[in-house]
Amino acid sequence: MPSVTVTLPSLLEPATGGVREFSASGETLRGVFADLVEQEPRLKPHLFDESGDLRRHVLCFHNGTNTRWMDGWDGPVSDGDVVLFMQAVSGG
Amino acid sequence: MGVRVLVGTAKGGFWVTSGNRRDWEVAGPFLKGWKVTAGLRLPDGRFLAAVASDVYGPAIHMYRNYVHNSTWEQLPGGPEYPEGGPSRFRQIWTLAENRGTLYAGVQDAGLFRSTDGGNSWDPLTGLNEHATREAWMPGAGGLCCHAMLFSPDNPERMWCGISAVGVFRTDDGGASWVPKNRGVYWAHEDEEFKEIGYCVHGLAQDPDDPEVIYRQDHSGMYRSRDGAERWERNESGLDSAFGFPIVLDRATRFLFAVPQESDQYRVPVGGALKVMRSTDGGDSWHSASAGLPAAHAFGTVLRGAMSVDDLEPGGVYMGTTSGTLHVSTDLGESWTNLPVVLPRILHVSAWVD
Repeated sequence: MPSVTVTLPSLLEPATGGVREFSASGETLRGVFADLVEQEPRLKPHLFDESGDLRRHVLCFHNGTNTRWMDGWDGPVSDGDVVLFMQAVSGG
Repeated sequence: MGVRVLVGTAKGGFWVTSGNRRDWEVAGPFLKGWKVTAGLRLPDGRFLAAVASDVYGPAIHMYRNYVHNSTWEQLPGGPEYPEGGPSRFRQIWTLAENRGTLYAGVQDAGLFRSTDGGNSWDPLTGLNEHATREAWMPGAGGLCCHAMLFSPDNPERMWCGISAVGVFRTDDGGASWVPKNRGVYWAHEDEEFKEIGYCVHGLAQDPDDPEVIYRQDHSGMYRSRDGAERWERNESGLDSAFGFPIVLDRATRFLFAVPQESDQYRVPVGGALKVMRSTDGGDSWHSASAGLPAAHAFGTVLRGAMSVDDLEPGGVYMGTTSGTLHVSTDLGESWTNLPVVLPRILHVSAWVD
């Protein structure tokens, strides 16, 4: 199963005990997300809301592509892919 | 005896401590960047702090004060509304402990409780899915359950306060809840559910008679002598009856409140930060503000940002939306303005250390 590097913003360090980088496995982005929150369940409420989608102001990039621009999370991932979470700069 | 004060701000938490209540030390921020919205010390000495972020949502963190170099650690579980349902879990407004059970009052308005020290939380669906729920309207601070009271005489009886909805009471341990707002002027009137629409801002309870409850409401200051069955106004001496916090010193039963200039303006009346004190159970109120900024002060005290320490004489602590922190160690006779300018202060809790 492909292994993906997941990077988190510093603000989420208190949720993970200071860990900002995870290695998560999955055939799809959905699978990677599931593995990530299984490894660290405390991340789930910070990244996803009750709709099951990403929180409104959470951005996720898969190899530099905003996941909101993708047609869902069921496309394949490859070994060595990079998933980056960050917060949207939604206003100043 | 020393005091430990948890100050929750919009950008993290701070510890304010003193061994003698004269010399103060400030440490922080911890949980930097997060709103610290509520705090609680557990009987075993651990501290809980509720955090929230507009981006990353809420959580509860735990701190073992008795462990050297302890750090805040997010609890594995937290309140959670059902996926796909109408309610969103946005913020914890109050944490409370009673008879070994933890309670969290949250926004969107609801109650959750934990019987395993905060590792897992169950909804009190009798409140969260109340028959009137569809008509609950958020106040200016959001649709939040921000206050809880317990009866030391009756484990089945509890009260909670929800802004712009009202006070509810349970007499069956939290299974069912009944609105208790008779005598209070409504904030908004629902066409169908006349028993809700009352905007409670803060609650305080007589430690010896839990049926005596004081209520700082949007519409004024009230008191109930019968467990919230009926409410009566008690505003004598207040130059404004609008405000948010109300706290009580257990030894003397003195009450403290911070009036604001009406719901339209929400600033100290005349730019003077003033604490009003009642020494007669709310029958009359008098200013107890010596030493507080008497002019050009327009920061207000939010509902969770005032606390008492239960020492004798009682210490009173409050923080403002301007980040200033004020301490009285003589029940409001005099105040010290601590030399800090913190972020907007959301929460203040004081404990004997």
